[in-house]
Amino acid sequence: MNRIVKTHVLKVNRPFRLDSGDLLEHLDIAYETYGSLNDAKDNAILIEHALSGDAHAAFYHEGDKKPGWWDTMIGPGKGFDTDRYFIICSNVLGGCSGTTGPASINPATLKPYALRFPPITMRDMVESQRVLLSQLGIERLKCIAGGSMGGMQAMQFFCDYPSQVQSFISIASTMKHSAQQIAFNEVGRRAVMADPRWNGGNYYESVSPEAGLSVARMIGHITYLSEKMMQEKFGRIKKDKDARAIFRPSFEVEHYLDYQGISFVKRFDANSYLYITNAIDNFDLMASISSKERLRGEGRGRGRHFDELKTKRGLVISFSSDWLYPPSQAKEIVQLFTGLNVRVSYAEISTDHGHDAFLTDYVNQSDIIRSFLASFS
Amino acid sequence: MYKIPAQNYPVIQQWISAGSRVLDLGCGDGTLLSALTREKQVEGIGVEISQDMIVQCIQKGICVYQADIDKDLSEWKDDSFDYVILNATLQAISKPYRVIEEMLRVGRYAIISVSNFGYLRNRVRVLAQGRVSSHTRLSSSWYDSPVIRFVSLKEFEASLAQMGIEVMDSRFFLPLDKVMRRKWPLYNLLAREGIFKLRKGTQE
Repeated sequence: MNRIVKTHVLKVNRPFRLDSGDLLEHLDIAYETYGSLNDAKDNAILIEHALSGDAHAAFYHEGDKKPGWWDTMIGPGKGFDTDRYFIICSNVLGGCSGTTGPASINPATLKPYALRFPPITMRDMVESQRVLLSQLGIERLKCIAGGSMGGMQAMQFFCDYPSQVQSFISIASTMKHSAQQIAFNEVGRRAVMADPRWNGGNYYESVSPEAGLSVARMIGHITYLSEKMMQEKFGRIKKDKDARAIFRPSFEVEHYLDYQGISFVKRFDANSYLYITNAIDNFDLMASISSKERLRGEGRGRGRHFDELKTKRGLVISFSSDWLYPPSQAKEIVQLFTGLNVRVSYAEISTDHGHDAFLTDYVNQSDIIRSFLASFS
Repeated sequence: MYKIPAQNYPVIQQWISAGSRVLDLGCGDGTLLSALTREKQVEGIGVEISQDMIVQCIQKGICVYQADIDKDLSEWKDDSFDYVILNATLQAISKPYRVIEEMLRVGRYAIISVSNFGYLRNRVRVLAQGRVSSHTRLSSSWYDSPVIRFVSLKEFEASLAQMGIEVMDSRFFLPLDKVMRRKWPLYNLLAREGIFKLRKGTQE
């Protein structure tokens, strides 16, 4: 099988309405697909990426040495088997890897939106993906799956359009942020905004606030690893033994975080970071699906579409050492969907790899996901 | 956990009414829940601690939660189920009283099977060989056997009485696949295993 892919961009030239009431005159959606759609068009699976992900979930771009971010899970014979399923992944609305976001050109001013970009929600991300799916001729999804923020989108889509989705998989995720989780995100945002180069979001014609954004990423990375893993990986090992070289990264762990921060700012837009973390903090699945004022989704305000959920399936996976989205929050998801009569299963994978396990511990995840997807048609 | 409890399935199937909600604690590979779903159209959920078993349940299309039944039953609301089953698992839990109480909180009825340590062969083995661990049918040793609770049918029934739990029905399994409905004088000596259908007692 040809394992070379490229990112496509769907250009939508009609207004796209957001939860905030704002309209985007034009919308680009970057996406990739793997495998092929069958004749019955019932083998499509939508993969949702996390905060810093993009549409390049698997396979290789021409000339690249590194595959997509979830290549361990997506491919022939893998957890999401491309010999059986047609896999789609798109960059989220508000992102910076091909889909319209704050760094995109505002047609009204012909300059980047910056902070003129309207606030976005998890539901807006999902709605933009539905535009893509309809363009691809896909009316029903076998599954919608994602880790971390990807799990939030998966659950939002599943609850808003149950007649279009057979199942969801939520990995290392939550149905709403706790105060601690909001606090971490806020510190990250403040780091960006405290960088003078951020300049109220207007940095596109000068230098981006790399120092601030890399600090935000460093904080994030601490929450992605478990204490035990950090200790085993770095301990107190010093790379730089020069005693006079204070306030310069000398411990291994400092170098690691430094590297993570620097490599992140090369590929990520600071304003996107603000918009997306804001969407995550404001995500509250229960409130969103039970709100009578919601503008979109099936059976609005009547709760009748919950009947549709009864024949559906769900799979919730958590990791024992994930303290960013701990197993206790996964269990809340399980209880919510069980209460909605969804046939949901829950697996708690034992690992020391913390939140990042959803990207690294693919063997156990693959077994579980493969069995889950094969258990219904 | 054990190989034998297949003999319990017909009894459990008989006790459970069609279309009911069932929670199976320590559901293993989901064989019992599969059968109940097929034969009795139950809405079943299994609870299991082992990841291999979880995968096998998911393969069968069974809803299963990975959890430790000694700790994690508190998440369920009162009366979430019609039946809560503890089949061939009682011997492996560390807080049996708490688990049994929780079973009758989250479900209307509890179905519990008990491997009888008072069974003649077990008594002989202890007396003749001076060994207590080989009765577990897993040929594991005392230090790694999942069986941590040794109980006889008589002791178990005394505990139920003490907890104010009513036995609605019971069956006792003898060698050669014989099943007894009623208690006879030597049941605590001759039955390998018993299974009980329980509910909260009316008088407290």
